[in-house]
Amino acid sequence: MDRSIQVIAMCLITNLGLIFFLYPADIIASLSTGHWSAVLLGFVIHIGMVSVYIKGLSKCAPKNVIDLFQSAGNVFAFLMLLPLAVYFVMMLIITVRAYAEIVTMVFLAQTPLWTIMLLFLALSTLVSLWGIESLFRTSMLIALLFFPFLIIVVILSFQNVDWHYMLPFVDRKTATFSYVFHRPFLQSLFAFVGGFLFLGFIPPYVPYQSRKIIMASLLLLPFFLISVYVPLLTFGENTASKFPFPFIMAVDTVDISWLMFDRITIFFMISLLCFVVLFLSLVMWMTLQLLKRSMHFFNAPIASVLLAATVFIVCLLVPSWSNVEQMIWWNTYLRLYAAFVIPLVTFALGVSRRRKEVIRP
Amino acid sequence: MRKCRLLRMALFPLMFAATMALSGCWDIKDINHRSLPIVMGVKQTGQKYKVLLLIPEVSRSEMNIKIISESGITINAILDEINKSLESKLDLLHLKVIIFERPVAEMGLAQSIESFMRSRDIPNKTFAAISDGTLEPLFDKLGASSQGGGTQLYNFFEKNAGWSPEVVQTRIWEVYRSIDSYTRDVAIPSIKPGRTTTIESTGAAVIKNGRMVGSIDSEESLLYNLFKGIGTQGKIEVMDRATVKIVADRLTLSSTLREDQATINAQLNLKVTVLETVGDPSNVEIKQEIDEQLSSRFDTMLRAAQAKEADILGMGQFFRNKLSREELQHWRSKYYPSMKIKFKVHVIIQDEGQLKIR
Repeated sequence: MDRSIQVIAMCLITNLGLIFFLYPADIIASLSTGHWSAVLLGFVIHIGMVSVYIKGLSKCAPKNVIDLFQSAGNVFAFLMLLPLAVYFVMMLIITVRAYAEIVTMVFLAQTPLWTIMLLFLALSTLVSLWGIESLFRTSMLIALLFFPFLIIVVILSFQNVDWHYMLPFVDRKTATFSYVFHRPFLQSLFAFVGGFLFLGFIPPYVPYQSRKIIMASLLLLPFFLISVYVPLLTFGENTASKFPFPFIMAVDTVDISWLMFDRITIFFMISLLCFVVLFLSLVMWMTLQLLKRSMHFFNAPIASVLLAATVFIVCLLVPSWSNVEQMIWWNTYLRLYAAFVIPLVTFALGVSRRRKEVIRP
Repeated sequence: MRKCRLLRMALFPLMFAATMALSGCWDIKDINHRSLPIVMGVKQTGQKYKVLLLIPEVSRSEMNIKIISESGITINAILDEINKSLESKLDLLHLKVIIFERPVAEMGLAQSIESFMRSRDIPNKTFAAISDGTLEPLFDKLGASSQGGGTQLYNFFEKNAGWSPEVVQTRIWEVYRSIDSYTRDVAIPSIKPGRTTTIESTGAAVIKNGRMVGSIDSEESLLYNLFKGIGTQGKIEVMDRATVKIVADRLTLSSTLREDQATINAQLNLKVTVLETVGDPSNVEIKQEIDEQLSSRFDTMLRAAQAKEADILGMGQFFRNKLSREELQHWRSKYYPSMKIKFKVHVIIQDEGQLKIR
């Protein structure tokens, strides 16, 4: 059965959950004019890697990444996938900690962090325990429930834009791509990398058509641009660069007198937090898949609770927001590894396997 | 599988408990234990700030208004002090208007605006206003007319209530934006207690980089709103020979830059209806009169603003495609003072009311 729609929903959800918070600040910090170039560059990398990854996987369908890597030798698989597992765990820690902080900054000022983190982790552990099929069904449900809110808020966020802030369109830094190897841009890849690696883990449980997924990924481009440009057009570059969460600030300025709710930001936050919880459960499930393959004595419920507990404890040990930012930066190498090495190796393995099969059918 | 089910059964109550605890009820203070100020006033005496808060108190039978004031070194210190001595929790989430006394604006608003933007509870779409006189009489007046439950000042600015096109609407985030902007300054409406009404509009203060550098009157505020893109529908223009009401407006702008000389071509299309005539003016005469009146008013306003190097109309925005970022930094000092503007008014008399014009 083709479950492409569910996979597309999941793809959109996981990316959208990551786009609107940290990504705009990173892009705005990486350039002073012509932010479109950074967004487009990131997006081209994203689409390129997704296509390479999916292509490699489709060559050896219906195997998943772990099967594929193991077919080239157990030691090889272990060495290649270990950094990926570490990356996933790091991502869990960063996401849980960062989003808990965002929640307290934006609307639950009184609530202690640990409760929010506990809620995130408890929910995502539970969802991941129910298995991948139910995870994808949940994604459909969440998409149906929250996309309308999200779309409305995104449309309303244009209330205060001044299109003149789009200009100047280009300058030297933009044209020469000199921003690429600097910290803010590399950090901004966070939003891209998180959302596509799962495509390699879900076959044969959730079959999908690769072409549709790539087409659907293109739908994300407007959201990437909006998340950066709405704050820029509302505040101008000088002011937008001062906010840790520029898009949230821009949504906060929206004033709709006929709406009975004073702040539409809350709707926006709630929908995105649901997306993030789903994202967390997905990452948790992937991490467990990796752990289970490498260490057979792990069985699902105990392992997932252990994983959640570890993540929770590490999250408690992170004292401040600047530490979170530091962790995002430390994670850059692993992120680049996950973004480039894994898709390319998958592709190489897929192609070589195909060749072998053709030679001796 | 059984183990899994057991674990699920154990997890479920845990989750349920966490959800209960996290449904936003953590350290909850009920609405009757909160004070929700609507208006905040900020004044400065020497090195110290003084903050006034207008808090409506609603009981079952009547509506009272409480005015609290406190002074201290910073605004947040004062708010903390007020919170300490208040029997309920001070919650600024529904603050609607912040009024600065004129001397505060002249000294510079940057510090206080920044602290309002940074704070988690003050919404960044709170209106900013400047009080022409001292704050106390204004607050007394607001407190005395308790009919609206303290919301008069908010309604005064709110577009779907008492707002009129010559009142400038400026929100905290707009002031904050202008502090660092190269190409845009802002006007903050100025008010004083009215003689017969609660509040009277006295025009607006011109704010450059967070500091008040001048003022514009109500008629000029209309032009400011026009350039900001807020409709001027309903404004009544009184001239020597006729009185008209603006029904629709459209402003088109284009900019040119030649050898560092910035020029703006502005074309204002107005649709008006005639309310009153003195003598027997013809359509052409009325049109001409409107044109002359608006153009001369615009010229005075722009010249005054240019002299102060305060770009309240945001004209610099139209040169963003012609100047690089480095050049834009010097927009206010280098290009703006010598900027020329060709302001043309094209008037259409949509109808002449219930009577014909000759």
